[in-house]
Amino acid sequence: MTDPTWLRLGRSLGASAVMVVVLFAGSTLYTATGGSARELLVKELLINLMLVLGLQIFIGNTGILSFGHLAFAQIAAYTVALLTIPVAVKQQQLPDIPFGLGTMHLGAFPATLVAIGMALLVGGLIGIAVVRAGGIAATMITLAVLFVVDQLVKNWQELTKGAGGLSSVPPLGGTLGLWVGGIVGLVVAHWFAETRPGRFAVATREDEIAAPSLGIGLFGSRYVAWIVSIGLVGLAGALRVQAIGSTSPKQYTLDVTVLLLAMLVVGGMRTPTGAVVGTILITVGNEVFRQLGDPKRLDIDRFPDLFLGVTLLAAMLWRPSGLLGDIDLGAWLRRRTRRPHQPVVRINPIRTASLTASSIGVTFGGFTALRDAHVRVGPGEVVGIIGPNGAGKTTLFNVVTGLVSPVNGTVRLGEQELTNAAPEEVARAGLARTFQNLRLFGNLTVLENVTLTALVSAKYRPDEAPIDVAWLLQVSGLAGFEDRTASTLDYGNQRRLELARAAALSPEFLLLDEPTSGMSDDESIEMVERIRTMGAAVGAGVLVIDHDLAFITMISDHIVALGEGTVIAEGTPKDIRRDPHVMAAYLGSEARDDAAAAGDE
Amino acid sequence: MTTLVQNVVDGLGRGSTYALLALGISLIFGVMHLVNFAHAELITVGAYLAYGLSTLGLGWWYLVPAIIASAVLASMAVEITAFRWVRNSSPFTLLLTSFAIERLSHALWQVLVSPKKQTFAGPGWAFDTWELGGIRVEVMDVITIVVTIVVLAITALVFTRTLFGLAVRASAEDFDAARLMGVRANRVISGAFGFAGLLAGIAAALIVMRSPTAEPTLGSDWLIKAVVAAIIGGLGSFSGAVVGGLSLGLAEVFFRSYLPDGTAQRLTDAVVFMLIAALFIVRPAGLFTVKTAERV
Amino acid sequence: MLRVNEVTTRYGAITALHGVSLHVEQGELVALVGPNGAGKTTLLNTVAGLLHPTTGSVELDGRAVTGRDPAALVHAGLALVPERRRIFRDLTVEENLRLAGITASKSARRDRLVEMRELFAVLASKWHTSAGYLSGGEAQQLAVARALMSDPRMLLMDEPTLGLAPSLIDVIFQLLVDLRDQGRTILVVEQNARRALELADRGYVLRTGHIVSEGPGPELAAQADLFATFIGVGE
Repeated sequence: MTDPTWLRLGRSLGASAVMVVVLFAGSTLYTATGGSARELLVKELLINLMLVLGLQIFIGNTGILSFGHLAFAQIAAYTVALLTIPVAVKQQQLPDIPFGLGTMHLGAFPATLVAIGMALLVGGLIGIAVVRAGGIAATMITLAVLFVVDQLVKNWQELTKGAGGLSSVPPLGGTLGLWVGGIVGLVVAHWFAETRPGRFAVATREDEIAAPSLGIGLFGSRYVAWIVSIGLVGLAGALRVQAIGSTSPKQYTLDVTVLLLAMLVVGGMRTPTGAVVGTILITVGNEVFRQLGDPKRLDIDRFPDLFLGVTLLAAMLWRPSGLLGDIDLGAWLRRRTRRPHQPVVRINPIRTASLTASSIGVTFGGFTALRDAHVRVGPGEVVGIIGPNGAGKTTLFNVVTGLVSPVNGTVRLGEQELTNAAPEEVARAGLARTFQNLRLFGNLTVLENVTLTALVSAKYRPDEAPIDVAWLLQVSGLAGFEDRTASTLDYGNQRRLELARAAALSPEFLLLDEPTSGMSDDESIEMVERIRTMGAAVGAGVLVIDHDLAFITMISDHIVALGEGTVIAEGTPKDIRRDPHVMAAYLGSEARDDAAAAGDE
Repeated sequence: MTTLVQNVVDGLGRGSTYALLALGISLIFGVMHLVNFAHAELITVGAYLAYGLSTLGLGWWYLVPAIIASAVLASMAVEITAFRWVRNSSPFTLLLTSFAIERLSHALWQVLVSPKKQTFAGPGWAFDTWELGGIRVEVMDVITIVVTIVVLAITALVFTRTLFGLAVRASAEDFDAARLMGVRANRVISGAFGFAGLLAGIAAALIVMRSPTAEPTLGSDWLIKAVVAAIIGGLGSFSGAVVGGLSLGLAEVFFRSYLPDGTAQRLTDAVVFMLIAALFIVRPAGLFTVKTAERV
Repeated sequence: MLRVNEVTTRYGAITALHGVSLHVEQGELVALVGPNGAGKTTLLNTVAGLLHPTTGSVELDGRAVTGRDPAALVHAGLALVPERRRIFRDLTVEENLRLAGITASKSARRDRLVEMRELFAVLASKWHTSAGYLSGGEAQQLAVARALMSDPRMLLMDEPTLGLAPSLIDVIFQLLVDLRDQGRTILVVEQNARRALELADRGYVLRTGHIVSEGPGPELAAQADLFATFIGVGE
């Protein structure tokens, strides 16, 4: 299921090496034909590359827009400058420097490490708030952070010499240092995509509700992505100041941030390849348009701005996923190096724990959604919940899976109390669910969708024998579709994929929310078979909601009928079909009398 | 006492400009979930037009209506040419689209006019002062505050009395339900952009009267604070935007006044933004709850 | 008056309606019933212009209106009372109604506001209250009143009794009959299937995106195997 570390590392190095070779060949050709002034563009390209890859690691993998990354690059740059500028020069430039920095001096290498450490320290604290907030609030926190650091640097003149910036930073390796940084950036970005946190972060990007319900918490993987990305932009800041010899707040403004974001989204933010292509396109385009202006005039920036505005606008209007979308060298290598194997059939023994929800009460505002509702699923059993629109089926489901907190009642899996547990804890305990409206990881392939939950199982359910993903896909009728993007599957296959993805958790129970909604009768019948096979194979019991009584009676051993938030009937499929209360609930209250009469016959 | 009153007047003066801009941003967010980072470019448009007309020798009685009209038209034009085409895209795409427009605006002024700051003559009386009970206030401060109060009062009437206002509020809450009532989507969004442009145009006129200059980055200086004010108030909450703008203006002036001289004083903006970052951390949705219904 | 021809509507990968055809004649009260998830709401939303069918057409008064904007359909005389009411909670009762009269002339709007005040006594007493404070029954009446503000000739109602107490359900059903008797044409989706069918001139049963049964309302209601038709058991 997971490739060995050497293979994953090999792919990261391989993809990075290809890009480095292309970049190196291109820039050598470019500098060889035009003299040393052209070295500047190469430096700029490499600096942008590191920064954009840093952004890609967080923004691209989590889908949270950050304006604040350059603030941490700036912190690292100033840290290096303050630690490496010769003491004599420093006392002249910054006579009132605080914290005894005036006499402190470090070599290039330790200063770089301290600088990255500073960025990580500050970034690590702020990241907690950013990642917790998520969405637009996260974006706004990062914007405020960018602005605060910008203001501090411009105005804390004793420490930073203000808007003019600091110079006389001893050089570290010149362009070579930047090449090293660029290579590190490429390897880290590619490697991150191969790691578990990287893949989990992508799952949270694709669906913030489905990911936790399959055991992937929102915070952990996103925070790791944040830390790695801050480390990389910190490195970029530290190397940049040493390659150029000076630093100034002009290099870390909102304008520059927008430029870097444009590079990220024009190429395609979801992949390192997209980030690299975007960086090259915009950096080179910028330079071309800069040369269109007369360098002796003040308005030298106008053409690059025009170029940037038009390119970004065009990308947003026509290619919001970027030029490359999900095309990625790393992903291509992953497909090429996949070792085909015969699917391993594994039938798990039926487990022993039961799932019980008892006396569940839920209110939303003043509205009582559930009153003393209950359901019990024994090991390996298939239990159906039915009821008309608004009866509380999905609410009961959400209580069991941790999305809704009940005001009273308990949820237990065997001996384990799951009442009020977070969705990811519920999933890790062994309850895997599907969604009424399909919540696949739409931009990922079929194989990646299923592998993700297999990874969760391997990490959080280590005692479970791993389920073979290839076999699961085969049983689901999805063999041959491994590399298709999930969102491009037809509806029936998307449903089957969602079921396979849940089963890959190797769960104690599968919880299925309207698995046949939108299907024809024939497809529903086929689904019955599939669910039964899948449940038996992974050794799981099944709790299934459906409004379709025909489907429910075919699949269930036992049925619970809900009406207006309480259990109105319970029993075998045969009992339920004759129950007057169920008929009344389905056809309306007036029908109760007729139904009762019919039931007596 | 006099310093206090002075500070309040200054703070309200700044804050009311933020409020006018923030209200426009909140309005646009309400109808299409876009945080419009190009909104403050309308100030730049107005300023350049005023500069152009003033070189023709026109007086402020002509400039002010021209500034306002240009902001309204520019706001609606941008909606029709750009935002309309990404209307149903992700917030991410919407946000970056607005950044693209902001960047294009910068570039256009550099190409069409010049990257240099253009200065022209302001109204002579703007910085005259009036003595009111021992407190000296600048004419421009009084005008700013009075105009803002009048504009906000009219805005409140528009939102409660006119069909357009009701349509905007209804659309902010549930766009599809509003369409089912006969509200035309294009018209209400276009109208919201127009109205936001009107508010920005009035803010632009006040800004340009105070400081008669035009430069490509003029809007950027106001942008961040206007966006922040809108968010403090809770995006999509119209009264929140006003409160957010005024409190941001007051906070700035008071920090500047009471922080010790020297470095600390120069760090006013940093301190204000740190507090705002802290606010987002504690209450991510802003001070006022966002009332917009999710569009399903 | 309303004719739906072979309409297929999809949400992403889901096909919610498979070539559904139905018609409602001038002055008729027609009930559309079926289990949860059958596609009833999708059908009403497609007719009202919120969703666009992939194939098929919708005609109003003999003119094709397929794919028209919802607002244009309101102008053409059609109104939908949406599922779960979707009243504007931040607006007062009066503001909700005034906005809903956006398609009428100023004087007509004023007249209808007076009319609604008289017709819905519960609303009159809360005229300037934010609609968010209304109870379920009051909110439903506001939703109906709101639809009537445009004086529609064709009224679509999606689950008007959802979540209401039995006594209020009676009120709403009576309102349906009254509206029909005033000469309005109504297509109603109801969960109280049998009761709705008994009142209706004609009825349709929708299941998994197909019309599985149709006929005069009371006749459908009396059908012994309605329940089976409904849920697909025993076929």
